[in-house]
Amino acid sequence: MSHLALKNLSKTYSNNLKALDDVSIEISSGMFGLLGPNGAGKSTLMRTIATLQEADSGSIYFEDLNVLNNTKEFRQHLGYLPQEFGVYPRITAEQLLDHIATLKGVSSKAERKNLVDYLLQKVNLYDKRNKNVKGFSGGMKQRIGIAQSLIGDPKVLIVDEPTAGLDPGERNRFYDLISDVGENVIVILSTHIVDDVRELCTQMAIMNFGQIVFSGAPDDGIKSLKGRVFEKQINKTELDSYKESHNVISNKLIAGKPVIHILNDKSPDKSFKKIEPSLEDVFFTNIQKNNQ
Amino acid sequence: MFKHFFLSELKYSFKQPMLYLFFLIVFLLVFGASVTDNVTIGGSIGNVYRNAPNVITIFSLIMGMFGLLFAAAFFNNSALRDHKNNFHEIIFSKPIDKFGYFMGKFSASLLLSTIPLTGVFFGIIIGSKIAPLMGWIEPDRFGPFYLETFINNYFIFILPNMFIGGAIIYSLAQEFKNTMISFVGAMLILVGFSIAGELSSDIDNETIAALVDTFGIGTYNITSKYYTPLEKNTLSPSFSGLILYNRLIWAGFASIILIASYRRFSFMKRKNKKIKSEINDSNQEILNTPKLTPKVQINSNSTYLHFKSFFKLNMNSIYKHVTFRILFAFSMIQLIAGLASGYEYFGLKSYPLTYFMVDHIAGSSGLFVLIILVFFSGELVWRDRDVNVNEVIDSTPHSTLIPLFAKTLSLFSLSIVIHFILVIIAIIYQLINGYSNIELSLYFKDYLYNMFPVYLTMCATLVSIQVIVNHKYLGYMVSVILLLGFDIILLIMDVNSNMLSIGSSPYMIYSDLNGFGPSNIGVFWFNLYWVLFASFLLTLSGMVWNRGTQKTFKERLKSIKGNTSKSYSIIVLANGFLWVLSASFVFYNTQILNTYKSSDEYEKLAVDYEKKYKKFENLPFPKIIDAKYNIDIFPIKKKADVLALLTVYNNHVIPIDSILLNINKQWDLSFNFPNASIISKNDDHGVHFYKIDPPMLPGDTVVVEIKNKFITKGFSNGGETTSIVKNGSFLNNFEILANIGYDSNKEIGDKNKRKKLGLPPKERMPELEINCGPNCDKNYLTAGFSDYINVESIISTSNDQIAIAPGSLIKKWKENNRNYYQYKLDHPSQNFYSFISANYQVAKRKWEDVDIEIYYDSKHSVNIEMMLDAVERSLEYYTQNFGPYYHNQARIIEFPRFSTFAQAFPGTMPYSESFGFIIDLEDEEDNNVIDAVIAHEMAHQWWAHQLVGADMQGGTFLSEAFSEYSSLMTLKNLSKTSMKMRDFTKYDHDRYLRGRSGELEKELPIYKVENQGYIHYGKGSVILYALQDYIGEEKVNNAMKEFLEIYRYKTPYPTSLNFLEILESKVPDSLNYLIDDWFKEITLYDNRLKSAIAKQLDNGKYEVNIEIEASKIKADSIGNERKVSLNEWIDIGVFSDSDEKNLIYQKRVKIIDSLMSFTMIVDSLPVKAAIDPRHILIDRVFDDNIKSISFD
Repeated sequence: MSHLALKNLSKTYSNNLKALDDVSIEISSGMFGLLGPNGAGKSTLMRTIATLQEADSGSIYFEDLNVLNNTKEFRQHLGYLPQEFGVYPRITAEQLLDHIATLKGVSSKAERKNLVDYLLQKVNLYDKRNKNVKGFSGGMKQRIGIAQSLIGDPKVLIVDEPTAGLDPGERNRFYDLISDVGENVIVILSTHIVDDVRELCTQMAIMNFGQIVFSGAPDDGIKSLKGRVFEKQINKTELDSYKESHNVISNKLIAGKPVIHILNDKSPDKSFKKIEPSLEDVFFTNIQKNNQ
Repeated sequence: MFKHFFLSELKYSFKQPMLYLFFLIVFLLVFGASVTDNVTIGGSIGNVYRNAPNVITIFSLIMGMFGLLFAAAFFNNSALRDHKNNFHEIIFSKPIDKFGYFMGKFSASLLLSTIPLTGVFFGIIIGSKIAPLMGWIEPDRFGPFYLETFINNYFIFILPNMFIGGAIIYSLAQEFKNTMISFVGAMLILVGFSIAGELSSDIDNETIAALVDTFGIGTYNITSKYYTPLEKNTLSPSFSGLILYNRLIWAGFASIILIASYRRFSFMKRKNKKIKSEINDSNQEILNTPKLTPKVQINSNSTYLHFKSFFKLNMNSIYKHVTFRILFAFSMIQLIAGLASGYEYFGLKSYPLTYFMVDHIAGSSGLFVLIILVFFSGELVWRDRDVNVNEVIDSTPHSTLIPLFAKTLSLFSLSIVIHFILVIIAIIYQLINGYSNIELSLYFKDYLYNMFPVYLTMCATLVSIQVIVNHKYLGYMVSVILLLGFDIILLIMDVNSNMLSIGSSPYMIYSDLNGFGPSNIGVFWFNLYWVLFASFLLTLSGMVWNRGTQKTFKERLKSIKGNTSKSYSIIVLANGFLWVLSASFVFYNTQILNTYKSSDEYEKLAVDYEKKYKKFENLPFPKIIDAKYNIDIFPIKKKADVLALLTVYNNHVIPIDSILLNINKQWDLSFNFPNASIISKNDDHGVHFYKIDPPMLPGDTVVVEIKNKFITKGFSNGGETTSIVKNGSFLNNFEILANIGYDSNKEIGDKNKRKKLGLPPKERMPELEINCGPNCDKNYLTAGFSDYINVESIISTSNDQIAIAPGSLIKKWKENNRNYYQYKLDHPSQNFYSFISANYQVAKRKWEDVDIEIYYDSKHSVNIEMMLDAVERSLEYYTQNFGPYYHNQARIIEFPRFSTFAQAFPGTMPYSESFGFIIDLEDEEDNNVIDAVIAHEMAHQWWAHQLVGADMQGGTFLSEAFSEYSSLMTLKNLSKTSMKMRDFTKYDHDRYLRGRSGELEKELPIYKVENQGYIHYGKGSVILYALQDYIGEEKVNNAMKEFLEIYRYKTPYPTSLNFLEILESKVPDSLNYLIDDWFKEITLYDNRLKSAIAKQLDNGKYEVNIEIEASKIKADSIGNERKVSLNEWIDIGVFSDSDEKNLIYQKRVKIIDSLMSFTMIVDSLPVKAAIDPRHILIDRVFDDNIKSISFD
């Protein structure tokens, strides 16, 4: 079992934006989902773990290794796929992966070739290996991205918003790849799509305004809301008054009409229907708490 | 619709700062240039006003080149703005008309890009008002303004140039939608311009050069090349002649491009290249490479592997970069164009020696490599972040400094690759020309000395700037300011240490005789200093390298600790320490051991010298009547010991009781004058005052002993003396002796500067006197210090070299492993001679009693026979026509190409290696440049050494004009056809007409010439040549011979009036007007052929009828002209070929009317007719003297 411990991480940007506010989490092997609305500080946290950004205070330990003071050593165990994975112009997929493999310490030329071939096949891009990566579609690029992050069998794999901009097919293929990594690997997946976490992760945290507002297993989150979430379809004009009178945690349109979810210990009236809480409800509940 | 887009484009730009910024730049540059004396553009010196139409035109033209960048900005923006904002899909879906959109935007951009250039006009108008008010420049340096100057410049140059540049850029932008390509396009136009400049290096190509010049700059220069100061002050450019054709050609070319682009333009999105190349995610065969677990480890070896991988990736991406390819291609084109043209003189070229190739490469690659380095320094440092791959790369376990050094090295290897490909082109050029002596080692050494350290310094500095500034475009700005702007700032501040201008080192020139010396030691230290500086900066910048997300400077400072290990800090510190050491060493050598002065300091010193010592101008000094030298030259040590024993004589009527001595600071002098004791010393001016007690009485003779030592100490900022070098030392007697008396040569000569500094006006020369008294006792060469004297020398040098002093070799011996020579003059001569030492081959030939000797470098044997012939021919012609030769030897001695000249000392003629020894004469049938130069220097053995003019106006007429004429006559004797001489005299015509255009004070008639080269060489040879054509060779030669017989080796010295008196007696009365017109006044002709019509006669002959228009013009000293009545004899003639080689008919006719007709009968088919077919007369436009004949 690998173990990553984040303790009291804080980071304030020069414009006084508090991106990390005393963040502490413990992460162990398996998929860890980091949920949060845009601007919650997810990417800052990911970059901080990926040694790309320094925190103002706090520490990160990987096993017994103080990550922030031993960046070079930690990077040897790290695989990282950033939110926007760009590629060099005028360079082929094979060249790009070979370069990154070299950087990650695969020193033998033959082994590198084998690895690159293997990864390209795995992400179904082997026949495009001599094509310019710049010309790849978003999904193909993202697959190159995951291929590079797997180089060197990292013990910590960080993927930041990997499915943004992918079509459903591409997204599924992507998750197949991710879920294939070894058991003993910590995978940190940041996303704002609740389904991603529910489908893949065994642990999760929810972030808002730089703070961790929830952490634990997705099921635990759902369990804590059991029997307290109610749903009702209303008219658009009524939305504001419902918001005033009830603890509305979310509203979305279904067939053009708003459907609201409220959090309450019991059903307010019969027009509300009790439902099985979803992870989405967990997400909104926690966000809302934090917003208030 | 057109109006809408036109106006909205204008409105948009008027709200942007760019327009005002550009305007301000131009305004300030022109304003600044017009209000300070430190900047002179367009020859606004001497009599040309600072706001003369000519100056304003040149300002407009030069600023127009900057304007191209403005145009690139405006046109590119207007073409791409909608695209960039992704607005095009919205706007193009509206029903708008193509013409209105395309042309509306184009026209608006055209108007906009011309607006900043009007800053030229405002700058100069406001400058001309403010500068006199503030007392910066005297009010009389400004003349009137002419409205037409502004209007014509705008419509002839500014608007068309912006149209031409704009059309190209706009079309490129529409086609490629890429800002970079638009700017490269702009640069491309500039390169085209510079290639046109290369073409105009010989007169014969002028017309082509004028037509191909994109901006019309060369065109204007060619049309205005003979403008007198007066014309520069009054004439504005006009739509006529070459300018008109040039403008039509280029505007037409641009219109075609614009129309083509317009037709291709479409609102529909063209198939985007990116989409085309996007790769489909198709199904594929499934291969199953087994997953092996590779060994992953970071150890010491991985540093190397990382470096290699980064390096390979960088190189790969640069070579495929379109900007790189274009810039590279253009530096190759530039080199090839430079090699293919590059005429030196008389339409001839030197052999493609490797050192010329090296010069060409430096010239054609310099700017391009600099641009490439600046551009790619930013590109490389920012590449990962620009394409968003930085987070992935930065999170891998490589050492932070590896990418930094890999990028620097990639950048540097770019410069290597470019350089060596250019070298290969140069070698191919050498081979194609059948030149096989390819000195690979020179190519390599030159690279090592000159390019390698400079490029390394540039690369490391530029990368460091990008890293430290941490903002790509700000980084570019800082780079450009540091590389270009900083030099300008230093210039303005009058600081010129090579230690401050990045990559600078002393000037070093390679010569076959002397290799890279003598400045190579200084160059080495400066190079070391710069390389250490750059590596220090680079390692320092590594500490603040931005890894990971973009960080503020404070954050980067904080992360220094994390970025750098202890050992790295030690390396940085050690590097810094070494840099400081080298800086101290260079500083010690260039600022303490070998001081130098800035130009302002020199100016101040000169003013001070004049104020302090002018009063001693008439202090009498004794005359040298005999000289004995003992000179030891130590080539390797760059050292010389001189012992001179000068016998001096008081030729004045008063006793000499004090002596003012001017010391040359590079020499260590001991001055031993009997009874003299030093009474004051001024080290600033190097002036020593001696008191002689008891004084030297009139008629007294004493022997003065001068010991003078030249010792090279360390190295200096500007490079070392070229007088004493490893191989090819060249000293003249003025240099090795101290200068006695007030030295008026130290005074500031420029009349405007004198006025500004509050000095009284200075006459360039004493006025010509008819009945000359004591003023004729001194000649212009030795200025009264001596007359014809005997010289004896013992000179020694290292055992592999030959040392040469004036006169016959009496004795030679070896002593202490050194070569000793004793020389003695055979006949008393001017006190004007040289001492030379080098490792020479000697070619000898005997002509009558004279030993002809050529001392040359073993590599330069190719033209030696021709040189011997030339000396022999000169001796023959001159002894026959002018009188005996008084020396027993005639020596030509090669010296290194530190300068390009040949000079005549008694019996001895030092001749630069780059001025004949290596000129390619294989295709020259008859006479050539070597004949011309040698004949000229040989002629000086008569005209300067046997007879020399008194020190007053007209003095150089008797030596330089006579020698140039004599030289032409030997060439004429050699010429097979009467037309061949026109090829030579055209250079003399050009020299005169261009020279008078650049006259600073006043043009004088030749008999009063004040040492003005264009008059005594150019005009002097032309009119003496013309005169012998009119009255006969023999008569002119006889006059010269008679004149020589009277004054040979005698004092007092003659004046030009003495000669004209004799000459006039030889001229028939009917041609007497020529003496006044040509020698005593400034006369020009403006002849042209109006028509030439021929018909065949019944007897098979042809009758040619021509109409001529002639005028004769008298000019005053600043170019005021008036037409005078005609009563001239002028040639008319007919050519049977279009190359004007066969003159089948020639007749000298009397011209009494400005319009006349003549009929000529010729036997064979006439092709061209001409007035003055052999170009005898001075005519500013000769081309119109000749016309192709049309038949009835």
